[in-house]
Amino acid sequence: MTGFLQNISFILVSTIVMSIPLVFAAVGGVFSVRSGIMALGLESMMMTGAFTAVVGSYFSGSPVIGFVCGMAGGMLIGILHGILSVRYKVNQVISGIGLNLLALAATTLLMQLLWNNRGNSPQVANIEGTAVIFSGIPIVGSVLGRLPVNAYVMLAVAGVSWYVLFQTRFGLRLRMSGENPKAAAAMGVRVHGVKYTAVAICGILAGFGGAFLSLNHMDMFVRDMTAGRGYIAVAVAILSRYNPAGVVLCALLFGFCDALQIHFQGGGIPTQLIQMLPYLATLLVLTFGVKHIHAPAGVGKYDDD
Amino acid sequence: MNAVEMKGITKQYPLVRAVDNADFCIRKGEIHSLLGENGAGKSTLMKILYGMTRPDEGEIWINGKKAVIKNPYQAIQLGIGMVHQHFMLAPVMTVTENIAVGNEPVKGIRFDRKTAEKQVHEMIEQYGFHISPTQKVEDLSVGEQQRVEILKALYRGAEILILDEPTAVLTPQEAEDLFRIMRKLKAEGKSIVIITHKLKETMEIADRISVLRDGRMVEQGLGLEQMDTNTLAKLMVGRDVNLSVIRENKGIGLPYLEISDLNLTGSNGKKILDQIQITVHKGEIYGIAGIEGNGQTELIEVLTGLRKPDSAHIKKDGREIKGNAEAFIREGIGHIPEDRMTRGLILEMTIEENVILGYHKRGKFAHKGFLKGKEIRRYTEEKMKEYAVKAGDSQALLNSLSGGNQQKVVIARVFSQDPEVIIVAQPTRGVDVGAMEYIHNTLLDLRDQGKAILLISADLDEVRSLSDRIGVIYDGKIQKEFLPDTVTETELGLWMTGGEKSEEVKDR
Repeated sequence: MTGFLQNISFILVSTIVMSIPLVFAAVGGVFSVRSGIMALGLESMMMTGAFTAVVGSYFSGSPVIGFVCGMAGGMLIGILHGILSVRYKVNQVISGIGLNLLALAATTLLMQLLWNNRGNSPQVANIEGTAVIFSGIPIVGSVLGRLPVNAYVMLAVAGVSWYVLFQTRFGLRLRMSGENPKAAAAMGVRVHGVKYTAVAICGILAGFGGAFLSLNHMDMFVRDMTAGRGYIAVAVAILSRYNPAGVVLCALLFGFCDALQIHFQGGGIPTQLIQMLPYLATLLVLTFGVKHIHAPAGVGKYDDD
Repeated sequence: MNAVEMKGITKQYPLVRAVDNADFCIRKGEIHSLLGENGAGKSTLMKILYGMTRPDEGEIWINGKKAVIKNPYQAIQLGIGMVHQHFMLAPVMTVTENIAVGNEPVKGIRFDRKTAEKQVHEMIEQYGFHISPTQKVEDLSVGEQQRVEILKALYRGAEILILDEPTAVLTPQEAEDLFRIMRKLKAEGKSIVIITHKLKETMEIADRISVLRDGRMVEQGLGLEQMDTNTLAKLMVGRDVNLSVIRENKGIGLPYLEISDLNLTGSNGKKILDQIQITVHKGEIYGIAGIEGNGQTELIEVLTGLRKPDSAHIKKDGREIKGNAEAFIREGIGHIPEDRMTRGLILEMTIEENVILGYHKRGKFAHKGFLKGKEIRRYTEEKMKEYAVKAGDSQALLNSLSGGNQQKVVIARVFSQDPEVIIVAQPTRGVDVGAMEYIHNTLLDLRDQGKAILLISADLDEVRSLSDRIGVIYDGKIQKEFLPDTVTETELGLWMTGGEKSEEVKDR
């Protein structure tokens, strides 16, 4: 009986833990798409964030500085994506996928240059603290107390993002830029500025998600660390109907698949099959779950052509 | 003092001089109709005033002060608002959000929705617009969306309002409402420019007119006294135009297109088409009159193989037609779609590609899967001449053409393939008088050649003047059939709004 309960709480904890990087990246994706820029490059922003976070922590010895570097790294890629798609009007699918390939190659190369090892980085200082203040609460305490602090940061970010998008002037302008950039421009909205801000926010959040993988979930960077989580985050953003509040729920679904995957590893079922679970879920969701979800009408359109 | 003075405006595009040294003045508190054929430069001239296009030469003076207008935002600051033919709205957002964006009342960083909604509500009340500030724009009718566009301009304090072919998308009733609104705005001292090629409207609403022809301003600020639609048409086209074509039918032949037992249910379980039965004879134009949204779109889709009905018997010359749209085309059923933007053309493709679209597999244009480039070019150039398509060359993209010329490409495509049956929907929507005359004459020619033609149009005048028989559609049902001479416009209008019921009321 206790074993069963332990299993449940283990799966619950890892469900939430695995959904954290997805939530950060997907909320970032929501900002990007709502402003009219496709978020296919999330993978590259996460991976870059995971990598720069480790670099920051490696050189400073401080995981907090690591996280800041992770956000900066993600933002850099975000802004690069912005420049490509706003300024040079590059096809956003191509620029997104191009950046993803670039990030994988660049992080591998930089690992080789920095640490003479293209498989993984050395161990660095990471964030280990959990929200122990909750562990005293009966029953739920065994779950809440074992969650990393970032689980609560995640909730705050999702809440604030919802507020910003749907209750503030900036949010209104951002959504209008994403729905009809020409109309927004004619009404005096500085569409380019809005879009750059949105992709920067997207990069920062996705970079944070990446940093969580390398500095919270683990303590090093591993080649192809994100392993497609950026693409899953794209699916989460769509499934949430581009709503940060919905992102949390949808990410939990994928986090759950991830948790099952971890839980059942070594249980007699071939690992390869088990590891397919999150990606299978993504495929199913994209096939059956998103039929009536429409992206903002102005995605990939410009205010000035 | 004039509200707007445009002097010596010239705009050269790569292949055409869209506006050529044009002067244009708008007085305060007038409704000024800017007339011209498609492609005459009306929209370009107004886009220049609204800052969407920069002129190569010329000056703009607003309220006696020289102005440089680089973008729409600056135009708005100067009190100029424009309502485009294709609305600039975000459909999934609310009326208030669409109107307030860029000029939002705020509390801190928060968008003060309550205040904005109150402001919008007050304006809606003031002009009697009958919409709700919290509705989503996508839930509004086209006419209501247009009012949102007008409100957007007024919310920013527009004193000069440009309406680009505002009635092209409206039902007659909505157009009347719009005119009422325009008169109200005029009474408040606002100046209104209406870009149009509808002459009846101009006569009804305008104080003065200006006429553009091939980019040149041929008449500027003419009063409408002693004018009629014929003189206006002559000014626009530069020659006499006969709009009231009436041509005797030389004889209707045997039944050719027979439609019976046609039923269609929508995704929400509601009946869209209900036991439709229509017979079109050889050498006959059968007109369908009705207010939009009573099943016309779906009827066209079924009759061209684009949509599967619940049940239908569609017979051509006694033989049942079945299959997808390609099969219908192969059977010789030509289709002029009601919306050339969605069903008629691929705007990002060239005239050559569009003019063979759907017929591109024929031996004439392709050999073993390879297109015959030279032959297609020769054919396209021939058709452009025949149908008077005004464009740079046969490789011009469709989105560089004016609406009327786009429509001519659709018509050239279908008519050139010598179809036996033609489903024609809204053939002259957004088309100027010159092109309209041409299209009407071509339709009558085809009828006289013995084709069976089904005409669906929201333009009652068009249905009445061309059709040999008229069926009125309401709520997915053909309510009644008439001979055009035996029915008045009012009577048709009555049946179009569910006549039987209205008549019962009268009888009591």
